[in-house]
Amino acid sequence: MATEGWGKYGTWEETESFLGNVIAVSKGADAVEYGSIRKWLESKQFHPPIHLNKQAAEQAGYRDVVAPRTMAFTYGLPAYFSEDSPLEQSGDSATQIPVPVIFDLPAPCIRSFATSVDIEFFADIYVGDRITCTHRLTDISYKTLKVGSGAFLTQEDSYTNQNDELIARSELVIFRFNSPEDELRKKEEANND
Amino acid sequence: MIDWSQNLDVSQVSTGNELPQITIPITLQRLVMEASANYDLSLMHHDKRAAKSVGASDAFANTFFLMGMYERLLREWAGPTMRINRIGNMRMMSFNVVDDVVVFLGKVREIDGNSITIDMQSAVGERITSSAFAVISL
Repeated sequence: MATEGWGKYGTWEETESFLGNVIAVSKGADAVEYGSIRKWLESKQFHPPIHLNKQAAEQAGYRDVVAPRTMAFTYGLPAYFSEDSPLEQSGDSATQIPVPVIFDLPAPCIRSFATSVDIEFFADIYVGDRITCTHRLTDISYKTLKVGSGAFLTQEDSYTNQNDELIARSELVIFRFNSPEDELRKKEEANND
Repeated sequence: MIDWSQNLDVSQVSTGNELPQITIPITLQRLVMEASANYDLSLMHHDKRAAKSVGASDAFANTFFLMGMYERLLREWAGPTMRINRIGNMRMMSFNVVDDVVVFLGKVREIDGNSITIDMQSAVGERITSSAFAVISL
């Protein structure tokens, strides 16, 4: 069953053992730089000079070109492939965006969806900064919905720069669950064993 | 065109003010550019088959895009010196898929000193696709 959907498979006892703890730490793949800011703006057809031009940024009270605040999410993401990653082959499952509460946290579920995101910002992100994101499990709330039974899991992400300054803190709530069909199949598999 | 030499002053803001709305078509090229730029490379955001496997009719915009568009909505309204302090309780209600034309909307809920709370939504026609609130300082 664990191989049919996605997410790290385990028991609710294992899930609960992580409550309040760090699940994972992600080091941003790239330092903040002009090119990545420009591309992020381009796809939104958004052209504010403070994110593109040092003089405009300084005139607006920033010490340098400043990244859009919601780019914290992007700059906190690690690389998809590292030097020791196996070569991706045709037919392999695509590498997913790392969401530790799904992929690093064991739970007896194979499905998931995000329900809400909340982010607070505390400091600006400047060209040259390196962002690290520390992920904690802060809440587990069991629930049965129409789509199935599982739990709302809250992942708190703290984004810090190279000086350990807190840039932003977000809360991502993910519902991990099994559909009624998944539960039926699970019972049938257990009966067959 | 946005006049980036202007900054909104709190004296110009009243409860109930509506922010200038932004309309943006979701094209496949935009989704590919966006995924590359915001680094959420999950297939469902640029591949129809993967999107269909999670219940969408086509490739759909990711959360980072919606967050970024809310930032654009606020920045274009308030100007270069505005600081975004929070984007809260962002809920994804339905997919923003290829060929949708998404409108981002905002309305001032509360003013407290130089801190302003704004309710925001994205919509495709009558269908609300996401909602959130923002707290900014001018």
